[in-house]
Amino acid sequence: MKNHLRGLRAERGWSQADLAEKLDVSRQTVNAIETEKYDPSLPLAFKIAELFQMKIEEIFVPNHRQSPD
Amino acid sequence: MKAILRNPPGPWTVIFTALTWVLVYLLTRRLLENGQLLQGWRIVVALAPMVPFTFFLAFMLAGIRSMDELQRRIQLEALAIAFPLAILLFMLLGLLELAIPLSPQDWSYRHTWSYLPLFYFIGLAIASRRYQ
Repeated sequence: MKNHLRGLRAERGWSQADLAEKLDVSRQTVNAIETEKYDPSLPLAFKIAELFQMKIEEIFVPNHRQSPD
Repeated sequence: MKAILRNPPGPWTVIFTALTWVLVYLLTRRLLENGQLLQGWRIVVALAPMVPFTFFLAFMLAGIRSMDELQRRIQLEALAIAFPLAILLFMLLGLLELAIPLSPQDWSYRHTWSYLPLFYFIGLAIASRRYQ
């Protein structure tokens, strides 16, 4: 699954460690999601969406669907 | 024990407990190999590493329960590599034992169990690398 997490994080000036702390996960987890090596669980995806005040589908895009941008 | 499971320990606590367990194991081995203990005491001494191991297990479990979802997946993948390797080791040793005489000085349980943590760390390295 593709995602816009790295860009959204950068827009807010957060480091991976900052985001990891806000999500209560490890920095390795944030990095693995950003590099698309790991797809988060639904609860974590909701937590991410809530943090960025966006819908899940605005952050995560299935591989078969074209990203809006 | 429930208190340990509720309050996850830091990694150093787990490492310290693991080192204590290994130290007690080594002392136990030395006592059993060199000591002149009575049979009953030999059994008591042989079971002594169970005490620090129980704490190690509880700390390890509490640590895993406090991990996030990716870290738990890495642990699962590490065990998914280590467990079949352990089966392979014991299966091959069993077959080799039938094929050739294996010296218990090299291939007894007291030697072969130490391969199991090694397999776990190999699995952990492979699984961690996948998500780097």
